[in-house]
Amino acid sequence: MIAYLLLLPAVAILAAGFLYPVALLARISLNRTTDLGAMEEALSLDTFAKVAGDEFTWELAANTATLAAGSALAATALALPVALLIRAAPARWRGVLSLMAIAPLLISGTARVVGWMAILGDRGLINAALLWLGLASDPVRLINNWTGVRIGLTESLMPYACLVLIAGLGRLDTRLEEAAATLGATRSRTFLRITLPLALPALLAAFLLTFVLGVSAFITPRLMGGGRVFVVATEIFDLALQTVDWPAAAAMAMLLLGALILAMLLRSVVARRTA
Amino acid sequence: MLEALTRRFPGTARPAVDGISLALPQGSLLALLGPSGCGKTTTLRMVAGLEPPDGGRIIVGGRDITGLPPHRRNMGVVFQSYALFPHLSAAANIGFGLEMRGVARAERTARVAEALALVGLTELAGRKPGKLSGGQQQRVALARALAPRPDLLLLDEPLSALDAKLREEVRDEIRALQQRLGATAVFVTHDQTEALAMADLVAVMNEGRIEQLDTPETIFERPATRFVATFVGRAGRLPAMIAGPGLLRAGAATLMAETGRMAGRVEAFLRPHHLQPLAEGMQAQNMLDGRVLRRTYTGEVVTLELETPAGRLISDLPGGARASAAQVGDTLRLGFDAADLRVFPA
Repeated sequence: MIAYLLLLPAVAILAAGFLYPVALLARISLNRTTDLGAMEEALSLDTFAKVAGDEFTWELAANTATLAAGSALAATALALPVALLIRAAPARWRGVLSLMAIAPLLISGTARVVGWMAILGDRGLINAALLWLGLASDPVRLINNWTGVRIGLTESLMPYACLVLIAGLGRLDTRLEEAAATLGATRSRTFLRITLPLALPALLAAFLLTFVLGVSAFITPRLMGGGRVFVVATEIFDLALQTVDWPAAAAMAMLLLGALILAMLLRSVVARRTA
Repeated sequence: MLEALTRRFPGTARPAVDGISLALPQGSLLALLGPSGCGKTTTLRMVAGLEPPDGGRIIVGGRDITGLPPHRRNMGVVFQSYALFPHLSAAANIGFGLEMRGVARAERTARVAEALALVGLTELAGRKPGKLSGGQQQRVALARALAPRPDLLLLDEPLSALDAKLREEVRDEIRALQQRLGATAVFVTHDQTEALAMADLVAVMNEGRIEQLDTPETIFERPATRFVATFVGRAGRLPAMIAGPGLLRAGAATLMAETGRMAGRVEAFLRPHHLQPLAEGMQAQNMLDGRVLRRTYTGEVVTLELETPAGRLISDLPGGARASAAQVGDTLRLGFDAADLRVFPA
């Protein structure tokens, strides 16, 4: 009984801060927009039909999925060596190293983007180096375009991938690799035949988590895309605050939510299958 | 063969393995026996190449392998936890070592089948380790280690994860298999019964050193050090003083013993099966009257705890022996040979 009472605050906060706004959003998505741009109370799926029937919506969806998948893949691949290193490290270093791997989470997303601007900008660290070495005659555009968003998103997803992989690989018995070595396997063959297949469930979990986070990412595409990168999240923002077409913004948000719930379901199915 | 093998772990005062040297004849089984932390597993891991030695050499078949990485050593290792690859079938586990050595598929299949038959698991070839019982996993681990025909088979507490009844069965199986294949093997255990029952040679280890390296019989009957006398088997323990050449004084009794050049305060150990009741008119080098303090009946053996003029001693009698009917409070006449009393400086 007391246990349930202790749950109450969390349930209350979730209900007020999450369920109520989502319900409100669902309600707005059923409204209509008049030709003059005013919102009209209604209970119809017209807005959904309008959003789903718009080619631009599907282009956005494809952009978003490609961006998220690419960045999630890169983040997972880059996090794997980090997680392997932490697993191989002496026990007393593991805590510190893990903390370092997820330290970027302690910095606000906006601050991180500003940091990237200093590195990727036309007169940033990388371009300065390229020009000085004579490898490029003009600055390479690394920011305010898709490249910049991909780099920034990959970096912001990496800590999450590290977190999942550190936990997943930690459960992998190092004796298995020792056994492979005593059976005549070189380090690379041990990795390909033993470590990698056994790490697959963790890699999949890391990919799917970072994919979901990448799909809903807003700050990085907005700030590092320089207004040239359009994804679902930035479009919802524009619809709501620039076009002030609330029903359309709400409908698109509901569609995104649905897609994300589907991805999460897929994740749990995969996790159960591989467990 | 090991030469002055040493391993220090950073931040510890005393080496985990402190200059171990031993030679192992081809085809024999050596047990490294000792309490936990005595360095036996570290020694095994150094031989397998999983732990770098800080000094000394490892020579197998005349070849110095000290600097070789594990995958070039041709060792077969059975780990305490078996370390079977969970994503591979029993057959694929067994074939892994052959595959890594580049054995062609046809020969590999034949040799895996042979190894499976050897451990009696032919029907379970396709099962993943998670679907095998502890005893079956153990056999797969053994087959996997043996399939590539290693120069040396290394077993790290291979029976500790099995329940008591199965342990004895698997123990005899491993021994029979090792003898049939003529494999040279090193076996790490903290269980003295296991070591004595399986090995051709037993090395009793303590604090990183070998206390005694001998046949099981010699280890048990003629322990070379005080540690071996206490760690292996049971023994009655008598504090004593050297009373002269070949004589010692324990309590109110004077006993004959092999005292060598020892002098002063000593401790004498007598195994329970060496202390036996004397029939009417029989003589022994040492004779004591013992009053029964406690009698423990275990079926095959009756153990008597006795109060003698020399001190408290234990005697094991066969369950059917006449004297085993002795009850608490009875007094028996007991005898034992001078050579059976093991004396060490206290």
